[in-house]
Amino acid sequence: MTEGETVNGAASTARPGDAADARYRGLLEAAPDAMVVVDQAGEIVLLNVQAEKRFGYSRDELIGQQVRNIIPEGFAERLIADDLRSAAEALAQHIGTGIELIARRKDGTEFPIEMMLSPLESADGILVTAAIRDITVRRAAEATLAATIEELRRSNEELGQFAYIASHDLQEPLRMVASYTQLLARRYVGRLDADADEFIAFAVDGATRMQRLIDDLLAYSRVGTQGVELSEVSSEDAFTRAVRHLGAAIDEQAARITHDPLPTVLADETQLVQLFQNLLGNAIKYRGVGPPEVHVAASASEDGDTWAFAVRDNGLGIDPVYFERIFGMFQRLHRRDEFSGTGIGLAICKKIVERHGGSLSVESALGLGSTFRFTLSASPVAS
Amino acid sequence: MNPDSDPPIEVLLVEDSPGDVRLTREAFRDANLRIRLHVASDGVEAMAFLRRDEPHQDAPRPDFILLDLNLPRMDGREVLALVKEDASLRTIPTVILTTSEAETDILMSYELRANSYLSKPVQLDKFELLVKSINDFWLTKAKLPQAHR
Repeated sequence: MTEGETVNGAASTARPGDAADARYRGLLEAAPDAMVVVDQAGEIVLLNVQAEKRFGYSRDELIGQQVRNIIPEGFAERLIADDLRSAAEALAQHIGTGIELIARRKDGTEFPIEMMLSPLESADGILVTAAIRDITVRRAAEATLAATIEELRRSNEELGQFAYIASHDLQEPLRMVASYTQLLARRYVGRLDADADEFIAFAVDGATRMQRLIDDLLAYSRVGTQGVELSEVSSEDAFTRAVRHLGAAIDEQAARITHDPLPTVLADETQLVQLFQNLLGNAIKYRGVGPPEVHVAASASEDGDTWAFAVRDNGLGIDPVYFERIFGMFQRLHRRDEFSGTGIGLAICKKIVERHGGSLSVESALGLGSTFRFTLSASPVAS
Repeated sequence: MNPDSDPPIEVLLVEDSPGDVRLTREAFRDANLRIRLHVASDGVEAMAFLRRDEPHQDAPRPDFILLDLNLPRMDGREVLALVKEDASLRTIPTVILTTSEAETDILMSYELRANSYLSKPVQLDKFELLVKSINDFWLTKAKLPQAHR
């Protein structure tokens, strides 16, 4: 058989007319993908040069052969009519969707493909045109991407572990430094000279602040490393516990804390308590002239999937230029003699909310109080 | 109470950090002058002291054991297990004092019959308060067995 005869043979199968056939073949050759035309019996009737190259066969080796020879599984089966569907229906189910399969070259090597099917009316019934794209490169890129994501996730986790272990292990030697400088202060302040007293005071102050920083760093890294799985919890209970923990500060500042009825949400309860405690604690600490008044509100989203919480206070307020900064690690807006603290409270809040898949934001203006808003998922419907 | 007429209270502290040993010693001295603090810096030495092996032939039987968990050579968990398996030692109240707050350590200590589990406070004044309350409860209010002296 010569190539010419084969092409003519195929052309006569696919004819409505010679001119139309030539045009169709032209289109086939112009396509960037490997194109293979198959009849209802799964027999190859036409193919383009790209298909020859991809599969490593010459045209005459494939014409008249079963498509199974080059695409062993998943193609021929899709063409078969059965009791439930006609050939046209069988095909219609797959038109336009990219089907990922494995193709086999003449030398037996395999490669991944994506295949798009479209019907072609012919004198001999419906033929199927398959546009076949080699997706080896895409697959490799996907694999690289997946590996990179996994690597990133692992290094992130390692970093979290590192922060936790470092802060935990730093506590031990620091406890010694802090304890002994305190002992030194207690026993020797006033018994040496004025310089010595000053030096001791700086050492005690530095050690104490470092202890607070490390405590907070531990608390921050615990959010990522010690969190428990989210479950349905009453945000009202969490709120109530936070208020109880803040009892002393609330009494001291004569703060008034009110709230809407608060919903059941999907959360890590310990972290939710900490979130309320940090936000309420800030509202009380950064108070304005009058006694602190804080209100916690909650409203459901339209689809009912999320709850938006708002913690509104009448405190000092925050200049909008600092909105980004306040959520960072160890960011402070006040001198130490104005307000103590390490500047990690809101960073912890942000990390907690983000671990819950929500977001935390602030609205405020100097002298007008602040409103911190965060979202949490409502309880899952059924999962 | 007159410290001279009352017998001393023998306490065995098992602790490898010299800084912690000194802090504990200072705190006990402030709390109760009757306390005689003996120190073993690892589990092997603690068992030798308790069993009066060389060079501890003249060691007194402690009235109370304060035990750290993380120790070189033989750790506190093993010491606790050995003490509570030993008919002549198990009546000595043995309290864990450690920096570990791990739930598994707490559970395991009580399973091994620790008499209580205390975590070392980071702040000096809280540590001193804790030692004071150990003295108030275990060494003052609680009645301890006088046997095997």
